[in-house]
This record gives sequence, C-alpha cells and structure tokens, in this order.
Amino acid sequence: MLSLILIIIASAFFTGIILRVKSMASGRKGPGIFQPLKDVARLFKKGVVYSETTSFVFRIAPTIYFSSVVMAMLVVPFGQSKGIVSFNGDFIFFAYVLALGKFFSIISAMDTGSSFEGMGASREALYSMFAEPAFFILMGSIALLTGFTSFQEMFAAFHIGSYISYALAILGTFVLMMVAMVENSRMPIDDPKTHLELTMVHEVMILDNSGFDLGLILTAGYLKFAIYGTLVVNMFIGMFPYQYSIPAFFVIQLVLATGVGLIESFMARFRMSHNAQFIFVLTSVSLLIFFGVLLILGKFA
Amino acid sequence: MAFDMEIPMLTVAIIMSFAVFFIPKKWQYLFGLLLHLDVIIATSMLALDALTGASAQSPALVYLLGNPIYLVVDGLSAFFVLIVNFTILTGVLYAGGYLKPYAEKKLKADMALHYFSFLWFHISMLLVCTVRDGLAFLIVWEIMSLSSMMLVIFDHQNPKTLKAGINYLVQMHLSITFLAIGFIWVYAETGSFGFDAFLTYFGSNSNIWLFLIFFTGFGIKAGFVPLHTWLPHAHPAAPSHVSGVMSGVIVKLGIYGIFRVVSYLKADFLLLGEIVVSISVLTGLYGILNAAIRRDFKQMLAYCTIENIGIIGIGIGLGLMGLGNGSAVLYYLGFGGALLHVLNHSLFKSLLFYSAGSVYQQTHTRDMDKLGGLIRQMPNTAILFLIGALAIGGLPPFNGFVSEFVLYCGLLEGLKSSDISQITLLVFTLAGLSIIGGISVLTFTKTFGTIFLGSERQPLDHKPTEVTLIMLIPQYLIVAAMLSVAFFPQFYLNAIGNLLADMGNGRIPMPASGLSGYSKSIANINLYFLLLMAIMAVSWFARSLVLRNRSVKMETTWGCAYLAPNSRMQYTGKSFSKSLSKMFTFILVEEKKYQELRPGEIFPGNRKHRSLYHDFFENRLITFMMHQLIYAVNYFKFIQNGRVQSYVWYGIVFMLTIFVLTALNILK
Repeated sequence: MLSLILIIIASAFFTGIILRVKSMASGRKGPGIFQPLKDVARLFKKGVVYSETTSFVFRIAPTIYFSSVVMAMLVVPFGQSKGIVSFNGDFIFFAYVLALGKFFSIISAMDTGSSFEGMGASREALYSMFAEPAFFILMGSIALLTGFTSFQEMFAAFHIGSYISYALAILGTFVLMMVAMVENSRMPIDDPKTHLELTMVHEVMILDNSGFDLGLILTAGYLKFAIYGTLVVNMFIGMFPYQYSIPAFFVIQLVLATGVGLIESFMARFRMSHNAQFIFVLTSVSLLIFFGVLLILGKFA
Repeated sequence: MAFDMEIPMLTVAIIMSFAVFFIPKKWQYLFGLLLHLDVIIATSMLALDALTGASAQSPALVYLLGNPIYLVVDGLSAFFVLIVNFTILTGVLYAGGYLKPYAEKKLKADMALHYFSFLWFHISMLLVCTVRDGLAFLIVWEIMSLSSMMLVIFDHQNPKTLKAGINYLVQMHLSITFLAIGFIWVYAETGSFGFDAFLTYFGSNSNIWLFLIFFTGFGIKAGFVPLHTWLPHAHPAAPSHVSGVMSGVIVKLGIYGIFRVVSYLKADFLLLGEIVVSISVLTGLYGILNAAIRRDFKQMLAYCTIENIGIIGIGIGLGLMGLGNGSAVLYYLGFGGALLHVLNHSLFKSLLFYSAGSVYQQTHTRDMDKLGGLIRQMPNTAILFLIGALAIGGLPPFNGFVSEFVLYCGLLEGLKSSDISQITLLVFTLAGLSIIGGISVLTFTKTFGTIFLGSERQPLDHKPTEVTLIMLIPQYLIVAAMLSVAFFPQFYLNAIGNLLADMGNGRIPMPASGLSGYSKSIANINLYFLLLMAIMAVSWFARSLVLRNRSVKMETTWGCAYLAPNSRMQYTGKSFSKSLSKMFTFILVEEKKYQELRPGEIFPGNRKHRSLYHDFFENRLITFMMHQLIYAVNYFKFIQNGRVQSYVWYGIVFMLTIFVLTALNILK
C-alpha cells in the first residue's frame, strides 16, 4: 500500500523534474514541475478524434495499456512493506503484464494503417524484446543470491551478509534505469522531443491518439518512470526503518530524474540501427551481476 | 470391466470406417463425424476414469509374435488421449465448414479417402497413447504417419503439396527408424518388446545412449531443432483443420513418447536434463526467430509450433534435473509445466490455425503482406486470432501465462541447486525464455496487425466475408477451454500432479505440503487475472463516462500532411520484422532475387524484386549432406544399369552365396 502511494506521488513530479532540468541546462527557466500533470488534465477535458481506418482495437488499446501499468504498479513493494499483490515469482507477472500493455499499444499503432506508426511499432517491439533478458537475468541473480522469488523478499534480503551486494546494486541500478529508458522511450534510445516522424519511436506510435486516450497513455508513461525508480530505490533500502527509507526514496527519485534530464541535455540519441546492439549490452551487464552473485556465494570454488 | 463397452465401440468405428467409400458424397461428412464421436465417447470415458487414479488394462486384443497386446490407460496416456479427442473434435467440427468449397470440386473418392484417413489418424493416435508393446507401437506409429501424410496431400493437384507430403513421409520414416533401433536394442538386451523391458534395461545399462536414440526418434515428430524441417513444409501445405490438429496434437505425441521413455529412466538424470534443456532453449529461439520473419502466416504458425516445443522441452529438462537433484518441487514444476503447456499449446495453436484457415478460405492467399484490414469484414475471426495471439505470447490473463509461469517458477527453483553448471544453464534459460516471449510479442503483433488491421493492401478477387457459424463454434469452444485453464488452473494442476505422482512412482515423493510456496502463488494466479480484468473494467467504465459528453470526430490517419496517401504506403509485415532479421543474418538466411540496374540504363522498365527466407538447417546443413550423399552414391550407379539380365544375375549370385554359405556351415 505504501509503495502505491509513494509511486503515485513520485510520478507526479518525476517527468516535471526532467523537463525542468532540461530547460535549465539549456539556459531557460522552463515550465513548472507539475506542468505534465496539467497537460494530462487538459487532455482529459478534450474530445477525441479517431482515424477512419481504425477499429475497436484502437479504442480499447490505451485503456488496456494504462491498466497493465497500474497492475504492474500494484506488484512493486517498498522496503519492508509489500506491494498490494505479492507472491512468489511476482516479477515474472510484472514483466508479462507490462508486455500485455505493450502488445496493445503496438497493435493500436498498426491499426491506423499509417506508414510511420508501423515503423515506430516495429522499433518498440524490437527494443523492448532486447531489454527483457537483462531484466530477467538481473532478477534471477538476485533470486539466486537471496533464495527468494518475490520482489519484496528478494529486495529485503538483498543486503544481508555482504557489502559487495551494494556494488551489485549499483550495477543493477544501471540496468534498471536503462530498461526504464527503453520502456519509456527516452534518450539515448529514443528522443521524445524529435520533430521528424521517421526518427521517432514511441511518439510516432501515438500520433493518432488524442483526448482522453492520449491522457491515459501519458499518465501510464509517468507511472512507469516512477515504478522503475521505485525498483531502483528498493535495491538499496533493504530493511531500513521508514524514517530513513522514505526520505531516501524521494532523494533517489530526485537524483534519477535529474540524471535523466542531464543525460537528455548533453547526449544525442544513438543511431537507430545500433540501438538494439546497445540494449543487448545491458544483458552483459546483467551477466556481470550474475557472476558477482556466484562470487559472493562462493560457487567458483 | 472398464473396457467392456470401449472395445466394441472402437471395433465398430474401425469396421465402419471402410463404409465411407460407399456412401453418397453428401452424407460422408456426417458419417465420419458420427464415427469420430463414437471413438471420442468411448475413449474419453476411459481416460477420465484413468485421470482420477484408476489405470485400466484391456484383455489381450491380438497376438504379435506370440505376445499378447493390451491397451493400457494410465494417467499419462489419459491426459494425451483427452487432448487428442478434444482437438480432433474441434477439428472435425471446423472441417464441416472448411471443406464445403472443396467438397463440390473434389471427386467422391478424394473426399472419402480424406475422411477415412482422418478417422484412422484419430484412432492411431489414441492407440499410440495406449499400447505398451514395442512392435505394436511401431505399427500404430506408422499408421499414424501414413494417415497424416494422406491428410497433408489432400490438395494433391498442387505439386508443392505433394512435395511437402513426400518430404513429411521420408522424415517420418527416419523417425520410425530411430524408434525401431531403440526397441530392437532393448529387445536384444532383454528379450522382450514390452515397455516393461525398459525398466530392466535402464536398471542394468547406461541410460544415456538409448534415451538419446528415442529422443531423436520422437524429436523428429515433435520438431526439435535441427530435426524440425518437415514442419514448415507440411503445416502450410495441409488444409487448415488438418494443420490445426497436426500442430495441436501430432507433434505432442512426440512429447508423449519422450515422457513415456522418461518414466522408465533410472539414472543419469542430470546430464540428460542438461542436454534436453540446452536443445530446447535453442529450439525455442530458433523457432520464434524464424516465425518472426515469415510472410506466409501458416508457415509462421508452424515455426511458432517449433518454439513452443522448445518451451515444453525446457519443462521436460527441468523435470529431469529435479529427478537428478532429488528435488520433488522441481520435478513437479518442470514436468507439470511441460504437460500444462502441452495442453495449452494444443488449444491456442489449433485456434490460431483454424482462424488462419478462415482467412485463407476467404482470401485464398497465405501471404500476409497481401492482406490488411480484415477486422472489418471478419470481426469474429479477428477477435479469435487476437485471443490466440495473446495466449500464445504467454500474456496474462490467458492460459499461456499459467504454464509459462509454472516453468519460470521451475527455473527459479532450479537455481537452488548447488551445481554451478546447472545454475549457469538455468540463468541462460531464464534469459532465453524471456527473449522468446519478447520475440513472440513482435511476431504476433506483426501478424495480427498486418492481416487484420489497417486497410486492405491489395484488391482481392472475392470480397472476404465472415466465415460460417459452423466454423466459428469450434473456435469459441476452444476459447472457452482456454479460459477454463486460465481461471481454474487448480483443477488442471491437480490432475497433472496426480498423474506425475503416479509416473514418479517410487522415485520421487510428492512433497507433503503440496508444492509449498509455489502452489499458493500458482493457485492464486487466477485472482490476479481477475484483479487485472477489474482494473481494465474500471478504467474502461471511467473512460466511457468521461467520453459520454465529449465530441468524437472521425478523420483520416495523420500522414505528415501528405494529401494523397494510399493503402500501399502502410507498413508491411516484412518491414516490421526487417530490423530483427538484419540482426540475425547469420541464422536467418535471406535470398534476394533482382536485376541490378545496368550503367547504361537511362529509362529502366518494370522490374521485380523478390526476397524469401530459407531455413538455415535445411538450406545449409541438410541440403549439403544430401549433396554429399548423392555424390558418394553416384559411384554405385553401375549396379542399377537398367538391364534385366544384370538384375537376374544379382538374384542368382545372391542365392548361390546363401547356398554356399549354408553348405559350408558359415550361416546357420
């Protein structure tokens, strides 16, 4: 329950901070931190425009996408407090529920019959497929280290025994943040501010969405960022009491959002054709974590 | 007691099957349907009994080489018998609508042969699951292969179909050769063809080689890479109700065979488990990679079958590791996940083949890049295909997720082993399984999106319409079965747990607490599905509430302000998977045929560009080996010289040799 509240709070300012940092880095004052929320609120008030080519798939897809993110959010724990849904192997459910949402957002892009949106859909499908093994190897390694298989138990037992685990947590943070970048289509995988349809990935998929549906998609995106941020926080806080862990949560989320903003300000997007290879590199970082775990467990003897 | 009614009912079906040649064309289908129902009722009753614990044995039916042949139905047989029966039932019902256009064109004998083969196909599959004697097994296995070959070449006017049929026939005989070698080996060691002889054999000999021979034999049927090359040819060539049944059950009988052999194994579990897991992961990855790039949607489904066989194989390997580690939980999760996935795959794959068949029947093309926007003309088929696609990708809230979740749990459980090589293998398997899941999302979004969404890419000769109700009903039946697995997994898992306890008799104790933590999370999975559905329902309700007093406008798709877009500009399936295929050029063999622009050509005319994908193993490995073989065999051409005199001479030499050898007491 606690994690749910924290994620919702974090999602309210996460994207706003990214925008603010980007503005400041480019010498502008920039919009307020809650501007993204205001955008969504405005979208919710608008009517919708549908393409004539689309079918019911296009109508239900944003709802299903949003619901899948909400469901994934319910699985995420916070320190000692479990998520609303917590069971053995829940991280598998987490990944597959998000995949369900992705499935629908891809076919809704195909539903418009546009040449650009299909291209975005194809890229999104490819990139998220490559991000998957990194996430699974990371989680599998933590499961191996701790002997548990649910998010909450794994994170709670992560740092018992050895301080090397903090080094692994840092590597894990890298993997999770990069997965979050892929999932949310941010730099260096995808440039959300690009103006050419040919170079977009996620933005081009939702070109034809409008009004309430677009609002749902944007909200789901904010939530997703906060979800991955919370997973990162979980990698560090372990069983800390709440008076330390909750401030730590906000500090870490703030650092992550600033980091994303800075990366987006000072880096260019990778070449589209090299993106997949780059994402695949994440898998090797995950493998590094796996070997680290084997070391800690003394399996190499 | 148990077989009192079943044997006469089966006998009736077998005798009456010949009558199908003599009745008028109009009644053939109904007659066949009745015989199928007869067989289904007879065997399903028996199987349901056996699944609840009472295995049954028939009186001796015939004698082969002096050995009585019994039919034995235990839990494992019963499980497969029920899957066969259900899939055949939906297949026959679907055929009622699917074959209509053919029935008018084809000869009476053609149709009769088709129904006759289908019935024998059904009966032989049931017998494969129930006989317990090597010789009898080979005979029914052969009947199964022959009858299914007859089904594949239904459209025999098409030379490509015939070629696929012959390819299938040859490969099935390779499979039976391996099986025969295996049975004869056991016979040579123990003096018996009965399956019980395996116990004796495995008790006193090395388990590895014999198992691998059977694994190869059954693996050809099941489609493990690199023994899979018949699948992508046979499935598209066969009529859709046949490909649905073939993919749904006939490949599963290869899995049945592997399970049967596993149930007799005595030692070397760990090594065998590691071998099976490694082959299976590669099978899964190879299958789904190929599925992702195909344009022919039935061939795509065939490759996807190979992928799912890989997933099932991972479960079998895990179960073997469980036996090796003495871990009961791993045993139940591995084998249980594999069996549940067998059931699930038989459901959603037949559903996908049937709905793909409906598309083929209406459009007469299997090339997805010629289609588009069919969701408007065929909404029911589109929804059915979408459900199948979601389920096969293992996405919640459908049944595919349940079995994949059980397998993932098995993988995580396997990590508790102390052996580093096992742990490393399992972590790679974890990653492999997740990639398979990711690519299958890509594959099915591509297929569904290209066939059903967007707008029509090419004008079709006939305007497609929704298929008849008789073809839709069996598909909805399958969807109902799929949802029952998704929302009441406990029922199926209990049945599978019981049969596994029976199969592991004496080797592995059922853990006292059931499957401890795992069984709880697996048993609750339907609650999480319900929660997900509830969230969707609430969001949808909120959306309709908000949109009620908002304006809804229809416009054309945004095309970068270009004012003359046409449907040929849509993204195609081929380009959708192009970036994936570019990354795996070392295993996805693409052949391009086109004419280069010559330097002097200022006004180039029309030209064609053609690109097609080949199967890596078929193209590089098997063709190469065949060429070498033909080259070597060429040297013996002089023996077959076409002169009758030489052939008579060979006979005389042979007889003389026998005579001399016998006379000299060398040959006794």
